[in-house]
Amino acid sequence: MSPSRMRFAAGRIVRNEGHGEIFYRLEASLPEPVEFDPGQFAMVSGWPGNDPLLPRPLAIFRAGQGTKGKGTVEFVYKVVGRGTALLSGLHPGDPLSLTLPLGRGFDLGKDGRRYWLVGGGVGFATVFPAAAMLARRRAEYEMFLGSRTRDQLPPKEWTPGGSAAGRVHRCTEDGTAGSFGRVTDIVKERMAVLTEAEASRLTILACGPREMLKEIARAAASLGAGMQAALENHMACGFGVCWGCVVALREGEKTGYRRVCREGPVFDAREVVW
Amino acid sequence: MTPDLAVSLGSLRLKNPVMSASGTFGYGLEFAPFYDISRLGAIVVKGLSLAPAQGNPPGRIVETASGMLNAIGLQNIGVERFLADVAPRLSDAGATFAANIYGRTIEEYEAVAERLSGLASLAAIEVNASCPNVKEGGMAFGATPEGISLLTGRVRRATGKPLWVKLSPNVADIASIAAAAEDSGADAVSLINTIVGMAVDHRTRRARLANVTGGLSGPAIKPVALRMVWEVCRRVKIPVIGIGGIQTASDALEFLLVGAQAVQVGTANFRNPMACVEILEGIEAFLREERLHDIGDYRGKLLP
Ligand SMILES: Cc1cc2nc3c(=O)[nH]c(=O)nc-3n(C[C@H](O)[C@H](O)[C@H](O)COP(=O)(O)OP(=O)(O)OC[C@H]3O[C@@H](n4cnc5c(N)ncnc54)[C@H](O)[C@@H]3O)c2cc1C
Ligand SMILES: Cc1cc2nc3c(=O)[nH]c(=O)nc-3n(C[C@H](O)[C@H](O)[C@H](O)COP(=O)(O)O)c2cc1C
Ligand code: FES
Repeated sequence: MSPSRMRFAAGRIVRNEGHGEIFYRLEASLPEPVEFDPGQFAMVSGWPGNDPLLPRPLAIFRAGQGTKGKGTVEFVYKVVGRGTALLSGLHPGDPLSLTLPLGRGFDLGKDGRRYWLVGGGVGFATVFPAAAMLARRRAEYEMFLGSRTRDQLPPKEWTPGGSAAGRVHRCTEDGTAGSFGRVTDIVKERMAVLTEAEASRLTILACGPREMLKEIARAAASLGAGMQAALENHMACGFGVCWGCVVALREGEKTGYRRVCREGPVFDAREVVW
Repeated sequence: MTPDLAVSLGSLRLKNPVMSASGTFGYGLEFAPFYDISRLGAIVVKGLSLAPAQGNPPGRIVETASGMLNAIGLQNIGVERFLADVAPRLSDAGATFAANIYGRTIEEYEAVAERLSGLASLAAIEVNASCPNVKEGGMAFGATPEGISLLTGRVRRATGKPLWVKLSPNVADIASIAAAAEDSGADAVSLINTIVGMAVDHRTRRARLANVTGGLSGPAIKPVALRMVWEVCRRVKIPVIGIGGIQTASDALEFLLVGAQAVQVGTANFRNPMACVEILEGIEAFLREERLHDIGDYRGKLLP
């Protein structure tokens, strides 16, 4: 399956419900179905008027077939500011503008590799589609999910993969659910006991706060494990035309600015200038 | 009857007055998945320099009330790669396109213009005399009538292509700057570029842009842009291309009404990649509704 060509779509909200205190799960219908690679995203807006002006980037959580040849797409988002607050106030039937699918997602190409998926905070929304795909392929994977506290972990029933799902490790910084501690530390502890051969077969797919990504990237690099990091940045267009979203990447001896929305959001963690 | 949307910019005839604004439309090809880019009056590509440029460090953008600040710093692939990789593909797509250019020195502006002059498919050169985000990005030339005369005159002698001079709004009297460009050989003036602004975070006590200041664009700047276009239209005889905060067909029509010959759509492309064609279709629908056969019957007809 290869991702669909990007398009601008006039969607309509089917469902937009709060889960716990902080997550919303939004489903919209689309004129046509879209196919996407795990890690790809959409630029989303739906509030009336020009303020906020710019759409917001959200990872595509799921996409499928709707009725009568239409498509559906789902997102999971956390309310952090005005845009996401306005989004959370939209109702079924309201229009939603979407540009999608965007960016370069995770590379799940190689057979015989073992995967660890790491989601910090709402970063799970980006790694769950990768888990779903790995489960479909019966690939070997485990997932590590961390948050500050219990309500900030995704509800268990959202975990993808069904009977083929890999093991899921949950942790909270305050110990209210799963094991006690930061997901970064838990991943690093597990890494520390890998043999060299195991580490070389491991690919980490991660999304979360930059500090988390940076620490895990450093540990992965020192053990020779692969890592693909899904980065975030402020975006204006989301499809590569404004050059607003760049991050510094290593290119041989030099560094260059690459667009998170086009060359990313998923980058080889060794190339990122943390 | 389909209304006639064609407009003339000096010797250059465009099939309609809707163009994309430089820096908001990539190199044009990025929009091909969304619609047929040959439908636009013209595509104005990202500002090109002699050598490829890295641009400013991140964070480069910040959203503000009904607008955004950017300090991209003119990151671009350079004129050679544009000629080799981009221009042929724009021609293949049937697009009408203009190159926006900038230099750190007048000699660099001349060199880029000369290099582009041999490109038969290039409709025009737009000189960015006004970028607020790089120290030598033309702002020094764009700030005074003398500077604009010097720059315009030198680039004029370097190229036979239609020459548009893009003006900065960060000046006291934009009409006299436009007049200086006209006197020095510009075929058209385009305005406005972004307005210098700034945003800070009162908690972290830091500027939100790495460059501290940036250029404001979007609906927030439209009233300023409209006033400046109106002033310049009353002062110069060469065509004026109106830019600034155009999001809808009615915004575009307002610029035409105060005298602009054509418009460029910038920031609106970010939220809605279809913005340019929707504006084009909206203008056509309006003319039909008003039973106007020619856009010339509407342009510049602001009532007293
Ligand atoms: C490729 C990509 C995929 C994403 N996927 C998801 C997702 O699936 N679910 C989800 O909840 N969020 C996701 N995000 C983050 C989401 O885009 C931001 O939380 C959202 O734009 C905030 O908008 P706002 O108006 O609510 O907040 P604002 O008022 O704009 O900002 C609130 C706070 O969040 C910070 N912030 C805003 N935008 C970003 C950003 N893009 N990156 C980092 N910090 C930011 C601001 O600096 C500020 O501190 C993703 C971001 C990217 C780039
Ligand atoms: C991200 C961004 C990059 C820009 N880059 C350029 C550029 O390279 N050259 C130029 O002349 N103008 C540049 N501009 C200015 C626009 O072409 C336009 O003049 C301005 O944004 C006002 O129009 P708008 O409100 O429709 O965006 C840029 C604007 C933005 C927002
Ligand atoms: S957000 Fe515009 S280039 Fe990435």
